[in-house]
Amino acid sequence: MGEKQKRVFFGAIGIFVFLCIWYVATALTALGTVMPDPITVFTGFFTAFVEPIGTHSMTMHILISLRRMLVPYIAGGVLGVLVGILMGWYRVADAILMPYIQMIRPIPPIAWIPLSIVWFGFSEGSKYFLIFLACFFTIALTTYNGVHSVDETLVRAARMLGAKDNQLFTSIVLPTTVPYIFSGLQVALGSAWATIVAAEMIRSSEGVGWLIISGQETGDMTQIMVGIVAIALTGLLITSIMRGVESKLCAWTVRGK
Amino acid sequence: MKDKKKVRINKYLFLSVFSICVGIFIWWLVTDGLGIFRSNALPSPVKVAESFVKKWYETKPDGATLLQHLGASLQVALGGYVIGAVVGIPLGIFMAWNDKVDMCVRPVFDLVRTIPGIAWTSVMVTLVGIGFMSKALVIFISAMVAMVINSYSGIKQTKTVHLWVGQTFGASNWELLTKVAIPSALPMIFTGLDVALGSAWTTLVAAELLASTKGLGFMIQQARGIFRLDIVIVGMIVIAVTGAILSSVIQFIGRKLIKGGRS
Amino acid sequence: MRMDSERQVVPEEALIEFRGVDKYFDKPQEGRYQVVGDLNIKVRENEFLVLFGPGQCGKSTILNMIAGFELPSSGAVLCQGKPVEGPGPDRGMVFQNTALFPWLTVMGNVEYGPKVRGVKKEERRKRAQHYIDLVGLQGFENSFPVKLSGGMQQRVGIARAYCNEPLVMLLDEPFGHLDAQTRYLMQDELTRIWQAEKRTVIFVTNNIEEAVYLADRILVLRNCPTGVKAEYEINLPRPRNYTDPEFLRLRREIDAVVDHTL
Repeated sequence: MGEKQKRVFFGAIGIFVFLCIWYVATALTALGTVMPDPITVFTGFFTAFVEPIGTHSMTMHILISLRRMLVPYIAGGVLGVLVGILMGWYRVADAILMPYIQMIRPIPPIAWIPLSIVWFGFSEGSKYFLIFLACFFTIALTTYNGVHSVDETLVRAARMLGAKDNQLFTSIVLPTTVPYIFSGLQVALGSAWATIVAAEMIRSSEGVGWLIISGQETGDMTQIMVGIVAIALTGLLITSIMRGVESKLCAWTVRGK
Repeated sequence: MKDKKKVRINKYLFLSVFSICVGIFIWWLVTDGLGIFRSNALPSPVKVAESFVKKWYETKPDGATLLQHLGASLQVALGGYVIGAVVGIPLGIFMAWNDKVDMCVRPVFDLVRTIPGIAWTSVMVTLVGIGFMSKALVIFISAMVAMVINSYSGIKQTKTVHLWVGQTFGASNWELLTKVAIPSALPMIFTGLDVALGSAWTTLVAAELLASTKGLGFMIQQARGIFRLDIVIVGMIVIAVTGAILSSVIQFIGRKLIKGGRS
Repeated sequence: MRMDSERQVVPEEALIEFRGVDKYFDKPQEGRYQVVGDLNIKVRENEFLVLFGPGQCGKSTILNMIAGFELPSSGAVLCQGKPVEGPGPDRGMVFQNTALFPWLTVMGNVEYGPKVRGVKKEERRKRAQHYIDLVGLQGFENSFPVKLSGGMQQRVGIARAYCNEPLVMLLDEPFGHLDAQTRYLMQDELTRIWQAEKRTVIFVTNNIEEAVYLADRILVLRNCPTGVKAEYEINLPRPRNYTDPEFLRLRREIDAVVDHTL
């Protein structure tokens, strides 16, 4: 058995054992009175694709949450990269902007929820605002670190070969920064996903976070677990896509492989 | 040359201080100064500072002083965090050290770790009701996940050469783990403690926003309901500062311990 | 061989010249620290000059001053009679740690110089391919540097510097990190490449055999502050032989002159 088959084999065993323990625990112990067994949960998850929960089917809930996350994620990413490069390249921009970033960043995005509700109401705007905050600072800082990690000998090599200042920027500084930007994008993606779930749990009428919280309100544990499964699988899907993109674009780094 | 450099650093420091002053001035200008924003949309910096001082002894409007809220939050966060670390560190080490266990548990773990800690709140509230226990459990889960990931990769990064050195001296498997792998994983374990603390603190705020009767998250949610944004901002500042202090305490301990372990 | 209009040097005039160069560094603890003292060197066109000296002191600084990465504290470094003010494409450097751009392929690295200087794509591809073939890397055009061995990476470094068609090639202990076998191989390769396309080469090394094996002329440098201690013309025919009696005699002779203190 090769290394890869071995991993798949043992992984399958691991997941199977986990599901068995879950099943046995709910079937034989008192846990069963509050917790549904895995078969119920997964049946519930798959039927939700055809039978709507609330006003939407599972596909719609997932898509709504993804849209809420992606729009500000892209905006925060683009702006974060720009600001990070600006601060990394110009010391004046660094001196002016860095204190604000250092002050605002320690506030967890979730702690902005009350303010965002007052400022933007219960509209999509408040959620966009939160996700934007969750992404922008992380990406700006990692980009900034990337610009600062440029290897001095590579700069020398480029100058020796005749590169001018603007060429130095596009051909040396930017490529050095790309892996840093990606690690920022990865971290921000995780935190954006967590934030959107929290925001939807606190106030919304659809989306994966709402699935959980409406399950809690009606005491429907199966719906809560279905929501959690949806969150886990969607989270896994988007981070894997991100990793795939990264390894395509950063084929030259050890990390990208 | 040296003096010139010093002058330049001072120039940028001055620019930073100036930038902050301008920011606060603009904040004051659009609120108290010109009255563009009312207090229920954006309170002035003066009002926030006032509330910050008052909230230490006043229990209005949410029934507890700032210190009581802070204490309640810290109690839950640290409680869940410590248990999470106690369970998570050995679990991560065990997973990394034992290949078979690694291959079985990893996929399950990779699935579970994509679930944000906050999503467990509903499960816990339904299981044990609103209160200390449900929040502590949620924080336990999110802290544990971060701990497992970091101690796991710490052990996995042990240099093979170091293990060989241990083997040539005739160390047993247990000795290799405790004398070689764990010490070399210590920096990563401390990174884990720091990350886990951050994630515990964030999750706690979220849990308190959702389901709570006390704590900083509860305080800002209550204040929001009656448009006391000054208290909301005070709460956010206290949350940020507490998080930063806790994190630097962990980093400080880490530096002390790791240095001592090396010399 | 290519002939650029700017490469017509009056025979008597040196291509590179050091006139009474001193170089100091400011170190935080030790304060002012002299690395190079009253250095006078003339480099002739198309010669293979080896700067040989023990230890870490000064040799790379001399190259860095020719390249323009560092400027002399006093005195002047002249290239074609004009003082060096900064790095430029007329002086190509091969770095000890290769300094290849990890995000570019072998082709991307080699064509980088012509590209930033605005050479058209077709023309620079052709030129880069020529030098990739010259250093024996055909078939690896689309590989990233991380995939190559140390010797192959340094071949890319040589091709990259050559492809910019500089007046002078500066090699800073380029084979220092290679294993002995690869090192011998690369010395032969460098000799072959240099004979195929003559350039002025200034080669820094702390390996005495390498110096005698490669050089037209060796300048033995003294320890800090560095300056020229002795000069040797090596007139052995190429390819040279490490066990040749004349080779061994020269080796011993130079070895006797070197400062062996650390």
